[in-house]
Parts: sequence; structure tokens; C-alpha cells
Amino acid sequence: MKVQQKSWMLKISTLVVVTACFTVLFTSLLVSRNLSKLLAFWGEDIQITVYLSEESKPEERKTIHDWLLTQKSVEKVAFIDQQKAFESFQAQLSSYAPNLNQDPDLLQMIPESFEVKLKDDLVAGSEVTTMANLKSKLMKLSGVEEISYGQEWVEKYSAIVSGFKSGFNGLGFILSIAVLFIISNVVRTSVFSRHEEIVVLEMIGASFKRIRQPFLFEGGILGLVSSGLALIICYSLFLLTQQFSNKKLSFLKVAEHIEFFSLISISAFLFMGAAIGALASYLCVRSLNDGFSGRQRGHLE
Amino acid sequence: MIEFHHVYKTYPGPIHALKNIELSIEKGEFVFLTGPSGAGKTTLFKMISAYDLATSGEIKVAGHDLTNLSGSSIALFRRKIGVVFQDFKLLKDRTVFENVALPLQVRTERPASIQRRVQEVLEQVGLAHKADQFPEFLSGGEQQRTAIARAIIHKPGVLIADEPTGNLDPKLSEEIMDLLERVSAQGTTVFIATHDHEMVKRRNKRTLVLRDGVITEGSR
Repeated sequence: MKVQQKSWMLKISTLVVVTACFTVLFTSLLVSRNLSKLLAFWGEDIQITVYLSEESKPEERKTIHDWLLTQKSVEKVAFIDQQKAFESFQAQLSSYAPNLNQDPDLLQMIPESFEVKLKDDLVAGSEVTTMANLKSKLMKLSGVEEISYGQEWVEKYSAIVSGFKSGFNGLGFILSIAVLFIISNVVRTSVFSRHEEIVVLEMIGASFKRIRQPFLFEGGILGLVSSGLALIICYSLFLLTQQFSNKKLSFLKVAEHIEFFSLISISAFLFMGAAIGALASYLCVRSLNDGFSGRQRGHLE
Repeated sequence: MIEFHHVYKTYPGPIHALKNIELSIEKGEFVFLTGPSGAGKTTLFKMISAYDLATSGEIKVAGHDLTNLSGSSIALFRRKIGVVFQDFKLLKDRTVFENVALPLQVRTERPASIQRRVQEVLEQVGLAHKADQFPEFLSGGEQQRTAIARAIIHKPGVLIADEPTGNLDPKLSEEIMDLLERVSAQGTTVFIATHDHEMVKRRNKRTLVLRDGVITEGSR
């Protein structure tokens, strides 16, 4: 009776630890995934501005425009003439300098440009290379004076996304291994506590499958229940984050752009949990009753 | 039913546990195996039940060549034999009925057929009224009778018993031997290792004597 109680205590404590591991794993994945989405949203205004030289001719502009439209990464190209650029500039600074429209020299100083918007489906983090490539090619075209795309912001944003992804991937790997070991240890304890039963089953000719099956099932169920509980905890955390963002960080529009795992992902995580559990059990019981194990252990001693 | 030809078993050391064993036991025979401790009785039983491999020689039990037995066929072979231990090896968390039913459950027989056969065997060993009891509430003799019931429920060709009366008093030992003789009378080969020389004499059955890994008496 005492052995059974201990075994249950061990199983419950394992369930708690494995659930905690899965919770950290799933939360990391969720954060990583939503961070990419958020950064992509916050960075979607990033665009390349191609400033044209004062001496640029209409045919040069057309060449630049046409060339930009042939680029796969480019979604939209808009020509901003001096008047438009001036109006935009004026609108932005109207509260600070209301008399700007009275300065005729200013209009002549503002260059014409192309505003280039990149496609949204570009993988977050790849913008730096894309923009740098575009810049180097554009600078070779005649009529181009300068290129601006907010390099610093793009580079930092890209580094953050890549950093988080690498970190979460590493964490996920470590946690998966930890879960494997924890479940494996529990199953090993279970095998030990049911040693007599295994000896008897071997003696009466139970198949390998029959002897191993309960342990694989136990590990699989442990993994499945733990991953299910972890997903519930993760969803609760997600809802809390959404509520907090709505109340305190509404200006960042976080709540509008984050989302929980899809049903397919949830099913995959549950399957993964069960698979990790069963794999951990298998690693533990694979040498059990391989036909000659009883011989090696000398059960008749 | 049991055949040993030039069987040797050597453990690292080297320790020569069995030397040139020549043995033949026919179907339905009742045979004792005696000898001092360390003579090799348990090693011989391990060979018969496929728990250990011979270093050399040939062993055939219930039609199976144990020298060439691979992983999965060991399980199938063990379904054709019955084994009884001195310490009974009953599962404490299962009733007498459940313990006895195990070999048939392993063969995935139908529940109705298991029920019928368990009832039959429990009546044969005189434990029908204890079917729902747990082993810890049984006497030593009853526990051994339960173990025997489990070993014969699938009608094995060979029943081996390693010191089946070692933990029992003389009266209970006689009861167990009577039971094993009845099993033998039904066509099962019964092979018993024992230290109880008095009982061996009283039973007047074929007796093999093993000394220092060599059969000194009773071999054919």
C-alpha cells in the first residue's frame, strides 16, 4: 500500500514538473511566434526612399521606376514630386513652423523621390539583406542621389527577432530533453516497483509487446496530460496578456495582433507530448524482456 | 519431452556449472532432481526454462530446440511449460482467480473460457472457495497450490518446480506432492528439484542426482 502511495505521489509530482517544462516550452514558442508577428506589424511602415538627383531626367526616372517594379520584394512604388514632398513636409511640421509655405526656396531644396514599399510576406528578419541588396543595385542606376531605409531600426529589429528565435529554439531543445529524462525516470521507477509482475509475465510467456505496452501507455498518457495541462496554462497566460495589453498598452495595438496557436498546432503539440512520453518510456523499457533479459537477470536465482 | 545432449555450462571464472549432461525424460514422467547446494540444480532448471543458454551441447524441451531459440520464440516456448518456484511468485495485488488466469490472459483467450478453465483448475487444487482472496491472506500451502494452478492452467507439456515444498511443513509438502503426482498422471512431465531426501524415498520415483555439475545417478 505504501509503495503504491509513493508511486502515485511520484506520478503526480512528475506530472507537475513535466507540465511546467511543457508550459515554458509552449509559452516560449507562443512568445516567439507573436513577437515575429508584432515586429512585422510594427515594422510594416518601413520603406525605402530613393532620392533622385536634381539633374535627373524623366527617362531616368522611368527606368528607375520600371526597374523597381520588376523586383520580387517590391510591392508598391510611388513617385513623390517636389510639390507632394513639400506638402507632406509642411503637414508634418505645421504645428512647429506655420510659415513654411511662405519660403519659396524651400520647395527647390526638397528632392524628388520614389517611395518603395516591400511585400508583407517577407520573412521577418530578412529585410536587412533585402534592403541592402536593393540599395546597392539602385545606387548603380543613373539619377539616384541617395537611398534611405532606416537601417538602424531594421537591423535592430531583425537582430531581436533572430535572437529570440535562436534562444527559444535552444530552450525548446533543452526542455524536450529534460522532459524525456524526467518521464524516463518515472517509468524506470514504475518498472522497478513492478519487477515481480514482469518476472511472472516473462515466466508465463507474455509477449514483449504485452510486457512493454503498459509502460509505453503510461509514458504516453503522462506526456499527453502534461502537454494538455500546459496548453491550458499557456492559454490562460495568453488571455491575461491580451487583457493587460488592452488596458495598459492599447496604443501599441498588441492585443489586436497577437494570437494563440491554431487547432492544428494544438493537436500537434498534444501528439508531440504523447510521443515524447512514449519515447521516454520506450528508451527505458526497450531492453526489458528482449527474450534473453530474464537469462541475464537470472530470475530463477 | 526433455533432452540434454553433451550439455556444458561454464560461467566466467571459469566456473563449470554443468559438465557433459546427458538426460532424457519422457512425456508424463515424474522425476526428482536432488543434490547438494551449488551442485547445479538451478542452472539445469534455467536451461530447461530458457532463462540461460548452454555453453555447448543440445537441449530440447517440449519439441523446441533451445539452443536456437530467438527472442520472440522464447515467449511462445514458455507458454508450453509451467514453472513453480519455492517463493510462489504470486502477484500480491491480484486475487487467486486473477493470478491463476494470467497465462490464459496472456494468450488473449476469451473471458468466458478463462472463467471456466480457472474454475476447473481451482477445484482441482482445492481452492475454488478462495478464488476472490488475495495471496497475503492464504497459508503457505494454499499459496503454493495457487502457484501450481497458475502453472498448469494452460495444460503445459512440462512442469518444472524448483524446491516447491521448501517453505512448507511436512504435511503441506505431502499435499503439494500429491497434487503434482495428479498433474503428472494427466500426461504432464513433472520435474522437481528438492532437498527433501525423505520425501524422495517415500515417493519412489525416478531420481536424478547432481553433484559438481555432473549427473551421478538416474541418467538414461
